[in-house]
Amino acid sequence: MSSLDPRIKRLDLKKTEEGEVHTNTHLITWEVFHQEKRGKQPMHVGAVHASNPEMALLMAKETFGRRGKTTNLWVVKSSDVYTFPTEDEDMFETTPEKMFRDPAYYKVRDRIEKFQNKQKV
Amino acid sequence: MNNEGLKDLLYKMADDALIIGHRNSEWTGIGPMLEEDLAFSSMAQDKIGHAQALYKILHEILGEEDPDKIAFLREEKKFKCCHFTELPIGEYDFSLVRHFLFDHAEALRYEMLAQSSFQPIVLLAKKIKGEIKYHTMHSDSFLKQLGTGNEESHARMQSALNYAFPFALGIFEKSEFENEIIADGIFAGEEELKKRWLEKIATIIAAATLKLPHVDESKIAYGGRKGFHSEYLKPLLDEMCEVVRTDPEAEW
Amino acid sequence: MYGNTSLTEEEAKRLNLTEEDPIKLAEFEDRITRGEKIEPGDWMPKEYRKQLLRMIEQHAHSEIVGALPEGTWITRAPNFRRKLALIAKVQDEIGHGQLLYSAAETLGKTREQMLEDLLNGKSKYSNVFNYPALTWADVAVIGFLVDGAAIVNQVINSKGSYGPYCRALERICYEESFHLKQGHDNVVYLATGTKHQRAILQDAINRWYRPLLHFFGPPDRNSQHSEKLMKWKVKLASNDDMRNQFLDQYVPKIWELDLTFPDPNLKKNDDGIWEFSDPDWDEFKRVINGGGPCNAERLEVRKYAEEAGRWVRNALMSKNEKYVMPMA
Ligand SMILES: [Fe+2]
Ligand SMILES: [Fe+2]
Repeated sequence: MSSLDPRIKRLDLKKTEEGEVHTNTHLITWEVFHQEKRGKQPMHVGAVHASNPEMALLMAKETFGRRGKTTNLWVVKSSDVYTFPTEDEDMFETTPEKMFRDPAYYKVRDRIEKFQNKQKV
Repeated sequence: MNNEGLKDLLYKMADDALIIGHRNSEWTGIGPMLEEDLAFSSMAQDKIGHAQALYKILHEILGEEDPDKIAFLREEKKFKCCHFTELPIGEYDFSLVRHFLFDHAEALRYEMLAQSSFQPIVLLAKKIKGEIKYHTMHSDSFLKQLGTGNEESHARMQSALNYAFPFALGIFEKSEFENEIIADGIFAGEEELKKRWLEKIATIIAAATLKLPHVDESKIAYGGRKGFHSEYLKPLLDEMCEVVRTDPEAEW
Repeated sequence: MYGNTSLTEEEAKRLNLTEEDPIKLAEFEDRITRGEKIEPGDWMPKEYRKQLLRMIEQHAHSEIVGALPEGTWITRAPNFRRKLALIAKVQDEIGHGQLLYSAAETLGKTREQMLEDLLNGKSKYSNVFNYPALTWADVAVIGFLVDGAAIVNQVINSKGSYGPYCRALERICYEESFHLKQGHDNVVYLATGTKHQRAILQDAINRWYRPLLHFFGPPDRNSQHSEKLMKWKVKLASNDDMRNQFLDQYVPKIWELDLTFPDPNLKKNDDGIWEFSDPDWDEFKRVINGGGPCNAERLEVRKYAEEAGRWVRNALMSKNEKYVMPMA
């Protein structure tokens, strides 16, 4: 084979011409969190494959931090992340009675005005 | 200030960065893992960027030609890069070992230049400090893991190191202006750099359970700094200017 | 063909057989109708998982194989600006592959298995990358028009129903806007340059015209439709609609530079639909089945990358770690 690519021409492609291809070597999967600026929440941005935490950080930097601003990255093994099963999503539904947690629920201006009007009399 | 000595220093730094950056960029798209493909490519881009910044200093402050002209259209014998940077990428073991040996020398050189009497290089050293830090962190991590990984990776790394080391020592080939640039406080010199470099890499190589080979002075790949290059530079330069030469009048 | 589904007749039939739990299926479909996304842990129909996986996997392969034609010119880019842009652009394509393989992994197939299926021919990639980049102008045309076509497809797909794929595409589309700008910049420099530059550019456009029309897949009248894939928001626009959108956006940008496409019938009708000559769909099939000018090289080079990198991955592998798929 004669490639148009000078880089490829220099490779010893014959070496791999024969034989089965095996790619089954799994590295560890890491979840990556990206903090854009100091004071901002680190956000989950994706995953990388790497052999250890140090390498996961080095790989995450160029996978998720090569554009824009980055202050820091976090990595954690995907196997160390725990979540609820998705069918339990209904647990998070809030009932209307939970209004007492909402700041908008507390309205006293009317009461104050009523009180002030009464005082004037 | 000694302009000839200064130019010589900047040219060899720039040419080294350009050629090794060019070589390392050849891995873009065919690296051993997707994530590493990205990392290695970014570092190659950084190196080419460093070369461009140095040529810019040569052009804007020292009156040399425009960076694109210097980089893409200069004759081979005017290049001052060391043979080490010219070698083909080989397999990943060699490319990683070269990256490790070269980048530590580069990092220490800029560290020393942060004290230079020539302000523009002090500013550049400051600007690219973070990039270079990542490069050596990356190379150290790989060297240690592959040196201690398994039998094959250990053997590959050791033989790549044996092959690369005489070329790496060629980085420190002295220039004819060595004494002047030291006296002018521009740069503390290749001898001093080599001393720091040997100290620095020794601990990392030991941690990787690898051994530095003994190299006879006569085996060191010198010549690049004086314009005498390996057989690999000319074809590389021909490739770099292939498009420009099809129409030298054109703006690309 | 590029994060795009084309079905065989048999597959289309199978899709229409309902063998899923009707209650779960109804919940699933309601969620999609409400405009909500499906996430990896959710129940999903087997066919949904299968079609989506196939589509994302093909898309990922297209990215890493797509890095090769332009890679041809990395060492020969003519100046600093172009050289850095080209390396960064090709690097991004590998990055897109990385993101997409992760998204596909959440559907239950490992990256390694996907790469193996690429190399053994079980899994395809976009046809457009089986053509050679003969001159520097090809880099410009690929960067502008092939990426332009890919963007049309990717922007549409980013409105789909599967969360991880949409998230990956959002990031990808952001990077693609750089690809498009640098490609257009390169095209404009050549188009407004010397005679030689204009000549190589026109030649490259002539050669890429048909592969670009093929890019969106066979015409709707000849392809299997699936209401279901539309309903499930796996497929969001028909091949012809996407092709038309592409022509509408990009043909005028080539014409304004006083360049042409090699097709006397190319024109926009009053109803907004572009008309063009038959781009030889037999050729399209031939290339898909391995008969293109670069199919063999593309796979051989990917195989080299996998094989030459294996010792590195083996040395880094920790034997007592079990494979775990990414979360999202
Ligand atoms: Fe892409
Ligand atoms: Fe792209």
